[in-house]
Amino acid sequence: MENRLKHLLLGGVLAVGLAYIPAGQTADETVVQVIEPELERREIKTAKIDKENFEIGGFVGIIAIEDFDSSSVYGARLAYHLTEDFFVEATYGQATGDLTSFEQLSGGSPLFSDEDRDFTYYDLSVGWNIFPGEIFIANRFAFNSSFYLVAGAGSTEFAGDDWFTITAGAGYRLLLTDWVALHLDVRDNIFDRDSFGEDEQTHNLQFNTGFTFFF
Amino acid sequence: MAPRQQPGSQQRHQSGRSLALVLGMGMALCLCAFTAHAAGPMAILSWGDKGEALRATVNEAFINFRTGPGRGYPIFYIAERGEVVEVLKQRTDWIKVRNVKDIEGWVHVDEMVLTNDQNDQPLTVDRANRESYSNRKWEMGTLLGDFGGSSTITAYGGYHLTRNVSLEGALSETFGDFSNGRAATLSIVHQPFPTWRVSPFLTIGGGVRETNPRSTLVTVEDRVDDTLNAGAGIRAYLGRRFIVRLQYKNYTVLTDRDDDEEVNEWKIGLSTFF
Repeated sequence: MENRLKHLLLGGVLAVGLAYIPAGQTADETVVQVIEPELERREIKTAKIDKENFEIGGFVGIIAIEDFDSSSVYGARLAYHLTEDFFVEATYGQATGDLTSFEQLSGGSPLFSDEDRDFTYYDLSVGWNIFPGEIFIANRFAFNSSFYLVAGAGSTEFAGDDWFTITAGAGYRLLLTDWVALHLDVRDNIFDRDSFGEDEQTHNLQFNTGFTFFF
Repeated sequence: MAPRQQPGSQQRHQSGRSLALVLGMGMALCLCAFTAHAAGPMAILSWGDKGEALRATVNEAFINFRTGPGRGYPIFYIAERGEVVEVLKQRTDWIKVRNVKDIEGWVHVDEMVLTNDQNDQPLTVDRANRESYSNRKWEMGTLLGDFGGSSTITAYGGYHLTRNVSLEGALSETFGDFSNGRAATLSIVHQPFPTWRVSPFLTIGGGVRETNPRSTLVTVEDRVDDTLNAGAGIRAYLGRRFIVRLQYKNYTVLTDRDDDEEVNEWKIGLSTFF
């Protein structure tokens, strides 16, 4: 009797259980998507805006090579503007040193070969647009401008060797249009030289001017 | 007194120029690659083509037009909600726009993101921030330091293959009491935690090194050796487009002599990214 009751109960539980599970499954299957989302996934793409953060150009000027007279200097520059305040710049320039005063006065054969008088340098600098501004010419014209300071390091090849060079200077950039600029620059290329035996610090000041183009 | 003649001075002279040239060309290449990457070849072809001008509609109360790309330039015009402006160009954080009345001015990127593009979606502008730093593809910078007691200066460029791994090329020049040197190295750099503001990295690489004894010394021939290097360092993101980089490298110079030279190098520098 007891056995039959157990049998019945268990059978009932099993039956209910079995009946329930398929019912649950069918309920799942019959879920219909009522609302079809019409959203398209938006692809976030940065707008294609022409960026003009690079500046390339050339310059000519005068450099006073310590002990070797003044001469013309010319070169190229490439800058990248990081923010409105700061830029980084690579400069390459070349000039030719003249006779030293001693060579001129002694009248003897020159101490250095012509090739050793070639003065070539490059530097990598950081610039700071310390005084940005605007200038006005008559009633009609207004040009953006900036007075900047630069400092950096590089190498100078002169008198048969390469010398570690520190550069410091200041300049003025006048933007004639949004992308053409006129520069006036003063730079000091400072390096220690031992061409005359003793180690001496030389200051090679230059004044140059040139045009650059933003791209 | 006879003009001083050093053997190899001609060669040294040439190589000085060529290094500077290579440096310049390398930078230019890097930049070209970058501009191509950023603007695409189509942008160059479509210069002056007004048909595809990007237009934006002011979606806030107003945006300010300034006379120049800087915070100090005066505001001379205000474009109100609903006004359509043509987006002309971007310089650093400033965007030059023109309205229908042909008034041109510079608007800060923080204000430009309050405009909608042609698809009526907020305009997305390239802003230098932590996110763009983490997703950077190109990195460029200069380093100064000490290479076994000599001053050294380096310019490098890197391309990120993934967020963790980048390939870097560097050109260095060293200035010692007895010799100068030039080196070119190619390295693989791995940073395990690319999203950290201050993130360490490991590097391994190889290259060539040219050593030029000073001309004032007894003439010794220039020599070129292969080098291997391994090192570690830290990049710290300062904000905007600035990264400070500090690194140590140990070089093994594979000389022709019986013993290879080992040189320790410490450098610090400033980098930027695209």
